[in-house]
Amino acid sequence: MPTLIIDNQTVTVPEGTNVLEAAKRLGIEIPHFCHHEALGSVGACRLCAVEFREGPVKGIQMSCMVPAKDGMVVDTGSAEVLAYRAQVIEWLMTNHPHDCPVCDEGGECQLQDMTVAGGHGIRRYTGPKRTYQNQNLGPFIAHEMNRCIQCYRCVRTYQDYCGGTDFGVLGSRQRLYFGRFSDGPLESPFAGNLIDVCPTGVLTDKTYRFKSRIWDLQEAPSICPHCSLGCAVTPGARYRQLQRRRARTNNRTNGHFICDRGRFGYGYANHPDRPRYPLLGHRRVTWQEALAALQNKLQELGELFGPGSIGLLTSSRATLETQFLTKRWAAALGSDQLCFEAHPGRDLGARVAASQRLDRTASLEDVRNCDLAVLIGADPLSEAPMLALALRQAARRGARIVVVDPRPVELPLAYERHAVSVEKLGQLLRGLSRPQQSEFPSSMEELGGSLASALLAAKSPLLIGGTDLLGPQGTEAMQQAAEACSQPETPCRTMFLLAGPNSFGGALLSAEGPCFSSLLEGMEQGRIKALLCFEADPLADYPDRKRSRAALARLDMLAVFDCAATATLQEADLFFPTTAVEESTGTLINNEGRMQAFEQVFSAGTPLAESAGGSHPPRFFSRDIPGSEPQSAWGILGALMGRSADLLTLRSEIEKNDHRFAGLSQLEARGEGRRIAAPRQYSLSHQPNISGIMGSDQLQLLVTETLYGSELLSNLSSCLHESTPSAFVMLHPQDAARFKLEEGKKVLLGTPVGDLTLTLRIAGDMVPGMAIVPRLRGTVLEPLVPGTEPLPCRIEKA
Amino acid sequence: MLLSEKQITQLKRRVRETPHPREMILDVLHAIQDANGWVSDEGVELAAIILGLSPLQVEEVATFYDKIYRRPVGRKVIHICDSICCWSRGSEALMQRLQQLLGIAAGETTIDGMFTLLPTCCLGACADAPALRIGKTLYGKVAIEQLEAILDGERTEVSS
Repeated sequence: MPTLIIDNQTVTVPEGTNVLEAAKRLGIEIPHFCHHEALGSVGACRLCAVEFREGPVKGIQMSCMVPAKDGMVVDTGSAEVLAYRAQVIEWLMTNHPHDCPVCDEGGECQLQDMTVAGGHGIRRYTGPKRTYQNQNLGPFIAHEMNRCIQCYRCVRTYQDYCGGTDFGVLGSRQRLYFGRFSDGPLESPFAGNLIDVCPTGVLTDKTYRFKSRIWDLQEAPSICPHCSLGCAVTPGARYRQLQRRRARTNNRTNGHFICDRGRFGYGYANHPDRPRYPLLGHRRVTWQEALAALQNKLQELGELFGPGSIGLLTSSRATLETQFLTKRWAAALGSDQLCFEAHPGRDLGARVAASQRLDRTASLEDVRNCDLAVLIGADPLSEAPMLALALRQAARRGARIVVVDPRPVELPLAYERHAVSVEKLGQLLRGLSRPQQSEFPSSMEELGGSLASALLAAKSPLLIGGTDLLGPQGTEAMQQAAEACSQPETPCRTMFLLAGPNSFGGALLSAEGPCFSSLLEGMEQGRIKALLCFEADPLADYPDRKRSRAALARLDMLAVFDCAATATLQEADLFFPTTAVEESTGTLINNEGRMQAFEQVFSAGTPLAESAGGSHPPRFFSRDIPGSEPQSAWGILGALMGRSADLLTLRSEIEKNDHRFAGLSQLEARGEGRRIAAPRQYSLSHQPNISGIMGSDQLQLLVTETLYGSELLSNLSSCLHESTPSAFVMLHPQDAARFKLEEGKKVLLGTPVGDLTLTLRIAGDMVPGMAIVPRLRGTVLEPLVPGTEPLPCRIEKA
Repeated sequence: MLLSEKQITQLKRRVRETPHPREMILDVLHAIQDANGWVSDEGVELAAIILGLSPLQVEEVATFYDKIYRRPVGRKVIHICDSICCWSRGSEALMQRLQQLLGIAAGETTIDGMFTLLPTCCLGACADAPALRIGKTLYGKVAIEQLEAILDGERTEVSS
């Protein structure tokens, strides 16, 4: 721990910290470009020069390249240093255009800041400037090469950190060009990070272009709602329109970066079809009328059929506050028909995952630092994209990454791949839970044995599983395997990928409550007369849509509280608009049990861009903000229960009520979040009966998540539509040959939901005997939901 | 055809035998350049296929080195060094004289397609400054009076 003096202040830092970072700890910001906390130092921009007066190095040196040492005395602002920096910034600025007024980076431009900080006010260079032709880099990123100052941050981010191979640096010296081989969309699902790392306006957010200056944006720390990882983001809104999202730093979870689904999935909040008014049937009513209708109906049903005739459902999209109050309200109504997830497999999977010992639960930070990660039934890029990026960082430090999956799992790194069928995944996990006895099925002996010994030998081993493919039993088996492969000094941790941003919260609160199948049974038998859905879409999320549709149709009342036009909303008798994540405050618990609070970014309302139709804002006056009726689901619940709508009181009550949520009331949205205090009580008593043994030559249908198009909210973001695939089915080359089918041709897939015409893709690295389809909302594949046992299917030429 | 099937097979085999295919980028680009005089976009794409890399990864190397020609050039390329050693020993005058003799500016190709004239940042011949390279022949300690004879020699070498 070296101790050094910077600008007359003493600081002690860990061994290996460079002087630039040591100064930052004292609150001294040394101007710099090429250094980035996540990317490291390269000493290229020459801007972070400081003067070393005493110690092992002397004179002017780059502070990012010099490790802090005992006895150093550093001056970051001597006359000589300032003159040096002024000269460097003047060089960097020679070719930079004077287009700040029309540049999207203006106001949040590091080059602007550093030019001022470096003391370069008046341009002396009057010669011609180097100019470039820009490229079309796809729907997300605008390219303006003339503004480039050759800091290499983009290449280091795209190639080194994110593993992309289609964007890089061309030429040399004065002729450097940062771009692609030819025009075309950037291939990496992490390309959006280029926007955040580019210190000037070369790579900017195309979806946000010419919309706002940063000082006009409403911003607040928030959490990405598009998967279960809970990455930290900063959304920005203006004129009642959510205009962008950028990455926020949380070193325990996402680090400095986010995926493109998270960055560009924000459009759901502005969706023109978003329901913004309470509805009774299809008639717009006031909140008072709607709430009165709901209360009357509930009272009537309660009196006629008893409180058990009212079912309540929330989802993994709902905040912890909403889930908690739903539970409270169910208790107040006297109903035990309460469920936290419409998909029984995902519900039980999350319940098992949430019962894992906390010291065995891995965060994304643990993933980045592991030396062996074995992924069984997990497809990071589809189910939790930032996990792929965390795995890449582990691989860059030398970790071994092994993927065991029936699907052709792709990762932006070098990894070992084993195509194994769904049934064998379970057998493999059961074998791993008894590694000494090596009870692996015959075909799995070699792989199972080698994985067991590798997990036992590794320093920080990890097992990563997707609950969709593993199911509750597989998830439990993975926990047992992790236990068995742990040594006292080197515990094997697990990470489970769950369905949504607050699956974990629902799993904690659900206790031994029923899963949605038994609520459906109640509806079918006429016991349940009313269903209240809080940010839940049972019609789309329950795997058997025919069954859920028929059951919902039997209800006397279906009440829906949501911020999106879901399938269930179309059937609702009563509708209450709720706020989007960015329009409210709340808490989400990510897949490792980390409680993370988010703040309100802006108030709900119809975006001016929509109400003005691209022209002048409407010229009529009213006291009400158009489209501002959505309220937070927990706020509505509070009102229904006649409680105060104070968030802090509510959070205090939650933590007092349940010790697992200790610290909730002190949670700060800007912080790193806080792990829950204890896991869920373990139990798998509500196991559904899993049968479904199929003939060995019958084709099995597996439905899986995909990067774009599967998740409800991001699928409503129009800027992602260009990147969403059209409906396809994937087959192994052997099966394609068996059925005489050709790549790219239309095929007819016979499924339990009917015959579907799809385009055929052939993938050599999947298991044979299986047809894989993505879950794609808004296509013929919409009724097929992941997280079930493989279904029987047949395939033929269309 | 940018390369013959046989050449492609041979290069692919050499790539397989190399632990890091990137080491072979220049070899593959030179093979394509030797066969075609320069490396076209299609040449970069072919190299990428042979190497198992993305076209961008090949292009990064191809555009870094000025001895890989990404545009059509004359039969012989004249590289004249303009770095510090050669400059201090009179390379500027050599460059001017060459432009006069060839009737072209730097970066251009003579009308007969014989020579392309390019400045270069180093030929690794600082001890023999001023230096220039024509095709694959290096000329050191070049005096301005020698230039005509050197060009004539290079012309006749091609015609013979």
